[in-house]
Amino acid sequence: MHHQLLAQPAMSIAKLTLQAGESVTCEVGAMIAMSSGFTVETTSRSRGGGGGITKGLKRMFSGENFFLNHFTSTAPNQTLWIGPGLLGDIMHYPMTGGTLIVQGSSWLASAIGIEIDATWQGLGKALFSGEGMFWVKCSGQGDLFLNSFGSIYPVDVNGEYVVDTGHIVAFEDTLNFKIGKAGSSLIGSVLGGEGLVCKFSGQGKLYCQSHNPPSFGQLLGPKLKAR
Amino acid sequence: MIEIACPNCQKRYRLADKFAGKKAKCKKCGAVLVIRPPVAPSDHAGASQPAKPNPKRTKPAPAGESNRSTMPAPQVPTVDPVTVDPAPVEATPIETAEAIPTAEAVPIVEAIPVSADPFDDIPVAEPVTPSVQAFADPGFDAGFDAPATAMPISPAKTPSPGTAAASGVGETLRGTTGHMKYEISQRPDFSIVKINLPQGGKVYAEPSAMVSMTPTMHLEAGLKGGLGKTFGRLLGGESLIINTFTAQDGPGEVMFAGGAAGDVAYHRLNGNTLYLQRGAYMFNSEGVDVSGKWQGAKGFFSGEGLVLLKASGTGDIFFNSYGAIIPIDVNEGFMVDTGYIVAFEETLQYRVTVLPGLRAAGKIKSFFFGGEGLVCQFSGTGRVWIQTRQVKSFLSWVNAFRPTKSN
Repeated sequence: MHHQLLAQPAMSIAKLTLQAGESVTCEVGAMIAMSSGFTVETTSRSRGGGGGITKGLKRMFSGENFFLNHFTSTAPNQTLWIGPGLLGDIMHYPMTGGTLIVQGSSWLASAIGIEIDATWQGLGKALFSGEGMFWVKCSGQGDLFLNSFGSIYPVDVNGEYVVDTGHIVAFEDTLNFKIGKAGSSLIGSVLGGEGLVCKFSGQGKLYCQSHNPPSFGQLLGPKLKAR
Repeated sequence: MIEIACPNCQKRYRLADKFAGKKAKCKKCGAVLVIRPPVAPSDHAGASQPAKPNPKRTKPAPAGESNRSTMPAPQVPTVDPVTVDPAPVEATPIETAEAIPTAEAVPIVEAIPVSADPFDDIPVAEPVTPSVQAFADPGFDAGFDAPATAMPISPAKTPSPGTAAASGVGETLRGTTGHMKYEISQRPDFSIVKINLPQGGKVYAEPSAMVSMTPTMHLEAGLKGGLGKTFGRLLGGESLIINTFTAQDGPGEVMFAGGAAGDVAYHRLNGNTLYLQRGAYMFNSEGVDVSGKWQGAKGFFSGEGLVLLKASGTGDIFFNSYGAIIPIDVNEGFMVDTGYIVAFEETLQYRVTVLPGLRAAGKIKSFFFGGEGLVCQFSGTGRVWIQTRQVKSFLSWVNAFRPTKSN
């Protein structure tokens, strides 16, 4: 599978070129256009991964769609164009056997060799964060595509690093994290608008997004007519 | 690397090889200078000398290539035009390579009044193949390296078939047509089109598309093309009113932009027809007829309303989108989610359908659970323009943040 990212960072789109027999799993709704040599299959499980309905439900909780679309190429050089719904960037992450923890709504597509799992134990911690943070655990080998709201910047953590909970796109599971308050007192950090933060420690890569969808939504919401 | 000095004010510039053979305007005094191909390596050391006309100018295009190979290995990387006193030239450390078309390197290709046509204040960049490739270099990142005022100036580029959108995204598009000169800059996020019209020139635009214009332009609102066409446009999601801009009192300039942050694309019609998705129409030159086209069941089925505007005739048409526009040349079948179609050529046959594979064996579920359901299936040969975002997704997202009525 070849990929090309275009129109970054705001209007980004990924062009994937697949050879016969190759396939990719995408978030439902991610497909923008494609050539005619694909078979599309909608399932509630990640292909080859098993899990079925339970995993589907877990994915639903993690901010992802219950269903996944599998695109399998039946002819050489088939192109598939995918993109996220909101303005923002797309990132390619080549997985080589490690594990990446992805924020629920940031997962866009992944190769078949990647297992997508929302059963990750960080759930309890995440609930505490109060921002509807759920996580998808991706492990295996192949190309992984993530999207963000705003632009993505990588941070090489070696030691400790603090990120606002709404701005995390993904991080390698070699990092430990702890939800905490930004300031020294809880009241201070809530009033300071920073709310809760993730405190990472260890060594690994961390990907952050410049903007935070809930912040933007809360800015727009009150100005709109009531439903 | 080419080093030249302005013959008028002696300001020095260092330029990449690819500008060889072009003309440039001096940033300091405005004089026009011809950029000679680089001189031989030995001369290269004597940088304090103003570059002399090079007898090797017979081969302008490949000159850069061949000279590069004869250069000493650690090549002096380019910086933007450096102004240096004659003495410390050798000592000046020059940093950062790669981003050759950086901010300051750009005005160089700025333009030369060549002809006596009414546009003579407009930059003219001749299409020179080597520099096209240079700008398409994947390492070059316009978004970060070049501030807004200094977009890389690429050679005149009319969207030509065969390039399925690979490197052109984000590049400034410019060109000259029989009716106007246009320049689409700030792509793809905040695209804006500048057009220059000769005296008497006209364009027809969607209301509110105009951003600014010179006082020579005269604006007239009206129903163009009679009642039938007007109604057709209304059906196509466009306004009843079409504004006519006429360059009445001499050559004029108008800037147009779309309503949403997004891209603008240009298409030249030569007696053929282009279909535009609802709302994509921006403006057109004389000779183009824009009317609505009722899709019948085809359009009805798509729900979202694949209501199309039909543009035909001979002339120029500009359309815009939310998100970047990517042209794709179709020749063996292609499918686009109905919400992402911006425009397509009439030579393509199309059919709105459920994503194949979802139809079979009760797989209709994804049709109900959102996401891809309806696609437009194209066949034949032609070009289709897609957008990378759709307003609908944004709306449904923001809808969740609306306050709920408390009653």
